[in-house]
Amino acid sequence: MRVDLRPFVTVWVAFVLVLSLAGCGAQRGANKQQAAQPAKEGETITLRVGGWASSPEEQAILDAQIAEFKKNHPNIDVKFEPVVGDYLQKLQPMIASKTEPDIFYLDAYAAPAFMDKGVIEPIDEYVKKNNVNLGDYEDSAVKAFQWKGKTYGLPKDYSTLALFYNKDMLDKAGVKPPTNWTELKETAKKLTKNGVVGFSMSAELPRYQPFVMQTGGSVYDGEKATFDRPENALALDFFYGQMMREAKIAADPKTLGVDWSGDAFADGKTAMVVEGPWLIPHLAKKAPTLAYGIVELPVAEGGKPANMMFTVAYVLSKHSKHKAEAFQLMAYLAGEAGQRVVVERGLALPTNKTLGQDFADRYSERKPFVDAAAYATPFQYGTIGVKLVDAGNKAAEALLLGTQPNAAEALKAAQKQMEE
Amino acid sequence: MRLRGDLLTAYLFVLPVVVSLAVFLVGPIFYAFWISFFRFSFLSPEQSTFVGLANYIRLFHDPRFLKALANTSFYALGVVPVQIAVAFLLALIVDGQIKGKTFFRVVYFLPTVTSTVAVSVMFMYLFKNDGIVNMVLERLALPTVDWFHNVRFALPATMVMAIWTTVGQLIVIYLAGLQDIPDELYAAADIDGASPWQKLRYITWPMLRNTTFFILIMSLIGTFQVFDQMYVISKGEGGPQDATLTVVFYLYRTAFKEFNMGYAAAMAFVLFVIIFVLTLIQRRLFREETA
Repeated sequence: MRVDLRPFVTVWVAFVLVLSLAGCGAQRGANKQQAAQPAKEGETITLRVGGWASSPEEQAILDAQIAEFKKNHPNIDVKFEPVVGDYLQKLQPMIASKTEPDIFYLDAYAAPAFMDKGVIEPIDEYVKKNNVNLGDYEDSAVKAFQWKGKTYGLPKDYSTLALFYNKDMLDKAGVKPPTNWTELKETAKKLTKNGVVGFSMSAELPRYQPFVMQTGGSVYDGEKATFDRPENALALDFFYGQMMREAKIAADPKTLGVDWSGDAFADGKTAMVVEGPWLIPHLAKKAPTLAYGIVELPVAEGGKPANMMFTVAYVLSKHSKHKAEAFQLMAYLAGEAGQRVVVERGLALPTNKTLGQDFADRYSERKPFVDAAAYATPFQYGTIGVKLVDAGNKAAEALLLGTQPNAAEALKAAQKQMEE
Repeated sequence: MRLRGDLLTAYLFVLPVVVSLAVFLVGPIFYAFWISFFRFSFLSPEQSTFVGLANYIRLFHDPRFLKALANTSFYALGVVPVQIAVAFLLALIVDGQIKGKTFFRVVYFLPTVTSTVAVSVMFMYLFKNDGIVNMVLERLALPTVDWFHNVRFALPATMVMAIWTTVGQLIVIYLAGLQDIPDELYAAADIDGASPWQKLRYITWPMLRNTTFFILIMSLIGTFQVFDQMYVISKGEGGPQDATLTVVFYLYRTAFKEFNMGYAAAMAFVLFVIIFVLTLIQRRLFREETA
């Protein structure tokens, strides 16, 4: 029996045709030259700004900044496109399909992958043309967005770490906020009573790393992990071994039944924590009556101060049709005029050095964060960041859980995990 | 001529489904298989490099993958038998002549229609360091454990949760199977003077063979793909110390946190082969017994 296959063939030919057409369309779009098209006289262009949806307060800052920018650039319309959910997960396909916004937020921690692959535009040329002085910015923040001799982003704000302490608890015990490790230990010991632990810090790399660096250690150097340096063990042993596991005058927030030390502090479960300025609005909401103070991190005896810098920059899309204007926008948003709006709201710290001083004067209780910027290391570990932070967190956790006998062994295991 | 017209119409009718399946299911699967041979970059696919079988070879030397595989196997081997046993027992009870059985059916089924995330959050409260489970243990003067933050207990606690959540669904399937068994069989057994145990052993259990086979396969596939409970409980880390890291979880981290798509795709295909082989083995076993 002969079976007529023609309809079947027709359908499949049509199907394949549809698919290949779709493919071609995508291909053509991809290959199209995205030549720079400067805005013509009288023509209005729209610039898209990408970022994550954050608090209404932060949104208000950005809205105010954009309104200011539009005053001086009537022919440029600016649209903010917040990403809800996992930012990096949504940004990557946008870049792959060349539909990302003209400028967008990028965290220092995630930036190397983008800079290394060359999927964002180097801005050195635009910096020169527009007379932007990178020296105006906090050095560590700028450095976080430089890769192989090129600059890719203008940092918009940053956070550092400081020691938050519960004023009432310290006053009652008659102690002052600690300035070095010995004092921290003694203070924590005095404050540990009635269901309160003296000090709380999570078993995470970006919390213990400053202390590691205070004693001359480091965990990352030029695209390589350096967990197994002998000087690294000191800080881990002190915090997670001696204070938490042995003396029990400090605790991981998880063992206190909360997710992060900020909650332990707000709930009055601990007297001292190491956190960033993000804890301030959290406390205002969750524990408005709590009296607390902020001081710089205690420094190891004989060591030098160290801190982390968490920073976010505006970066420029490689596929933007209006790169010159887009750069002007990001230079404004991250520049002195734009950041003045940031200072006025008092929420994030301005990356501009002069404004940083302004900020410290106006919000004197937050001065420790600004002061720390001078000696902070960016929270960024090249293209191996995700693995490195994971290994670093696990080392501290292993020490805390007792699955590793001491810090040296835990760090050796972390190093091994990095080299696999 | 007529027939051809009908055929064409028929093909046109199935076309939308064929196209959408091909574009959104079959196509991506083949594409994923393709990129599993690459060091694939999501950010700029043009910069991907062909690495042959390197991703697959690396998998079997990756201690984290092996750990994830061990965790997943432990989880599956622990959850599936218990799940089936509990579901079978409860189904028998609910199927029997007890008062308020509709109520019990609803109660057992409720966890199934609750979202895994909500269930996970609830269990986190139960198993918290200062949670209800520990409070009860303390009352009984038993030692307490910080369940989800303990290397030894995090995975078993998750398994308890998985059993609790999925048993309801299995009960419903078993109930359907039980209702399919003809009453005559039991009547005949009664005449022969069979004991309740004998009826269970020689009538109910064998008659439910197909149901059990179906449940076994579905549970195994489900447990080998487990992800969301672990994700919620370990806050996306797989901790403590990789104790709750499963294959799909590791795959997710590799693909969407480290953005190493090629390696993650290779993992997906290894998992596929494992599940496929397990299913084949079960099929062979069950067929032999029937024959």
